[in-house]
Amino acid sequence: MTDTTAKQEPNHRPRVVIVPCSGIGKTYGTVSREAAYDVIEDLRPAETQLVALSKLALGDEAARSVITDNPVITIDGCKLACATKMVRESDGVVTQDFAVLDVYRRYKQFKPQGIAELNEGGKRLARALAEEIVVIVDTLSHESEGGQNG
Amino acid sequence: MPEFLEILVDKFTFKVATDRFYNREGLWAKTEGRLVRIGLSDFLQQRSGDVAFAEVRPLGTVVTFGDEVAVIETIKVNISVTSPVSGKVIEVNPAMETAPEAINQDPYGAGWLAAIETTDWETDCVQLLDPRVYFAQLKVEAEQEVKRG
Repeated sequence: MTDTTAKQEPNHRPRVVIVPCSGIGKTYGTVSREAAYDVIEDLRPAETQLVALSKLALGDEAARSVITDNPVITIDGCKLACATKMVRESDGVVTQDFAVLDVYRRYKQFKPQGIAELNEGGKRLARALAEEIVVIVDTLSHESEGGQNG
Repeated sequence: MPEFLEILVDKFTFKVATDRFYNREGLWAKTEGRLVRIGLSDFLQQRSGDVAFAEVRPLGTVVTFGDEVAVIETIKVNISVTSPVSGKVIEVNPAMETAPEAINQDPYGAGWLAAIETTDWETDCVQLLDPRVYFAQLKVEAEQEVKRG
């Protein structure tokens, strides 16, 4: 997983943190991570950063600091909602939580399959989810800029 | 008999409502006069995972025992739901269109699939399982699944 926690520098403007599901070996977990990568590496690399759920589970202080100092978007692969729960248990504030299943219900044509390698439907579903996340990222970024300018 | 029979297998609790019959696949059938309401058992819904979509055959569809009456897509599997009774579909749960997660949230209540006006309930019901028999079958299946990991 591309954990960008290390990119956090003091006194930089807040970036939106993405915390995806860590479910390994599950299709919906893979969709959540692919969507996170799409946002962080492709769509909004300058405005976002990723924190691995496993770091929060292990109590990593740097990861915890990042999620308490920045707005957080979580992506859950199933109803257990581990990403959302772990961010809250780590004293982070979840600005928006996404569930892959809810997104799939909106894009029934993109049926995800595969685990290590998603099928075409899974990749397109991940992209659709990423584009929904970007809308929230842009809103948060503009609010942040407004706050800094004002 | 209590309202539900319950069993804890590993970390999972499964309930069987005692006021209805079951087929071997885990569909329940509850009589309401000439109507039989049908749905998924708690065990079947838990084993199948979160429901993404549920498509029930439309009103007026005539089914015989064992015909496909619904298709359910979950995050794990696609389930072909076979009718536990013969008759005509006269009600379809509107929640299946808008909130099929009701199957997971309340399998014996709000998560019902359809109501069927039966044509041969006396014949159909002898092929269904008493809740205690279904409970015993469930117990064996659940323990086997836990052993398989």
